Amino acid sequence: MRRFRSAFLSLLFLMLFLVPQVGMAALNDNRPGAKPAAAITSLKATALSQTKLSGNNQLINVRWLVHKDAVEGTSKLRLVIDTKDAVRVSSKLDGTKGSQLVIDINGAAVGNVNDLVDLDGKIADKVRFIKKDNTNSQVIVDLSTMIEDSDYKVFTLKSDAINNKTFRVVIDVNQVVPKVEYNFTAGLRNKVIAIDPGHGGSDPGAIGPNKLQEKTVTLAVAQKVQALLEKAGAKVLMTRKTDVDVFGPNASAVDELNARTLGANNNKADVFVSLHINAFTSPSVGGTATYYYQKSNYDILLANCIQDNLVKTGGLQDRGINAAGFYVIKKTKMPSVLAELGFISNPDEEKLLSTPQFQQKLAQGIVQGLDDFFAQAARKGGGL
Amino acid sequence: MFGKRIALISMLLMLSMILGGCDTAAPQSPTVPNVQNENSQTGIEPGKTVNPGQDTMTMTVYFATKDAANLISEKYVVPKNSHPAQTAMELLIAGTKNPDLVAVFPAGTKLRNISVKDHIAYVDFNDSLVKNNKGGSALEILLVGAIVNTLTEFHDIQKVQILVEGKKIDTISGHMDIGEPLSRSEKIIKKSK
Repeated sequence: MRRFRSAFLSLLFLMLFLVPQVGMAALNDNRPGAKPAAAITSLKATALSQTKLSGNNQLINVRWLVHKDAVEGTSKLRLVIDTKDAVRVSSKLDGTKGSQLVIDINGAAVGNVNDLVDLDGKIADKVRFIKKDNTNSQVIVDLSTMIEDSDYKVFTLKSDAINNKTFRVVIDVNQVVPKVEYNFTAGLRNKVIAIDPGHGGSDPGAIGPNKLQEKTVTLAVAQKVQALLEKAGAKVLMTRKTDVDVFGPNASAVDELNARTLGANNNKADVFVSLHINAFTSPSVGGTATYYYQKSNYDILLANCIQDNLVKTGGLQDRGINAAGFYVIKKTKMPSVLAELGFISNPDEEKLLSTPQFQQKLAQGIVQGLDDFFAQAARKGGGL
Repeated sequence: MFGKRIALISMLLMLSMILGGCDTAAPQSPTVPNVQNENSQTGIEPGKTVNPGQDTMTMTVYFATKDAANLISEKYVVPKNSHPAQTAMELLIAGTKNPDLVAVFPAGTKLRNISVKDHIAYVDFNDSLVKNNKGGSALEILLVGAIVNTLTEFHDIQKVQILVEGKKIDTISGHMDIGEPLSRSEKIIKKSK
């Protein structure tokens, strides 16, 4: 059965390379998202770049770079090993001597590459090349943290004469943000909830066609959220209570954003909710979206609960939840979200957002979302 | 303004375009079928049009979808020059004529300089990028994504550091953290079916 499966996968992989379109996509190893064999994650066992292996093949060069995704803020290490000719690779994780990723390269000797290449320690500390014999070599990547099978990919790329590229072995390792395990009880009573009304003071945020300012709406909704939460027995930490800059006027943007996360971190808030109003160039775009950066076991659940309830009470278009490397949700330690309540650039939504009635609906959505979140998290984690 | 190194890198970039990547060698298959621009028509190369037989280069430039949710690439065939990365940025700033796509650059934004060192592109805009920005995280995501994804189309560029008036900035409109070089984001791209 197992043999059948690996034969099938090999065949599938070969077919992929025979299809010219896929071959083309494989040429640019620049892109973290380049997907030659990447589509087939189960190929960790055996990846073939070509069936024929030549006699005096060797590793030529190794290069590496840590990529940071522009939108999601997640990092990935890409290691590229140039080989003279085609090779076969197989890989496995070994947790017995620290955290290691071991790649066996069949069909090439180590050659003249350095035995040891130091990396920056963000995702991996070093790469070692172990000479096996004239046709086999082993690569050991010493990782900075424990990872899982789904956190890495190893695949081969064919030579590309047009772009002056030789055969390559590509190793991609995602940065694993050590996920903090939180345990929550159900209910809002005695919870510490940080509410961050976006922008403020010298920074108006986005401005609508009828001059409504984002900072005004975020503060109004936040105050309504605060009242509802306190009524339910929660402790609320407001990053700002009035129309002010949180750090101070004319502060650097990082000081300002950092000041918002500090209060929540220092006071050990259970969750952090940043409120914003979106904007776009075309006035027809509208809707509610919630963003998360996955750093604990509960960021996605929190985003889902808040988004669902905001859509339910606000009734705007559901733009869903999305991953984003926004500063305040990245730098806070606890589960956090940044909710974009509506579009101030959309005249209809601008009008709605200016009314206390609609602001109250949004506040109810957020509070109901928090209540749902603690209830579901308690069920999931068993509570305390 | 452009140093020797820039000229050299531009030439290398140009060489890779001449030798032809996938995009130049293969028959054109733009992501959006009806937006094949035979000529840039953007005032980038005044007085120049692509004549038959003239050497050209294909630029892949990213614009936002009308719903502000994704980026889609558009291909431009322009006369070959020695500074393709600069040309790609200028095409991006100039915007698109495709009614289904939206340009995301704030009014008055100008490219001041672009240089590449150790596979990192340093792309410097005037302060209109921040001052005329309309705010909103959707806009910020699409703007940063469009800049980074357009530049990382070049083989030589793996990361992009955005600068304003020659200096690193922390954020454009208060949501994203752009203080360090950023890599391509594939997820924001809407692929053609």
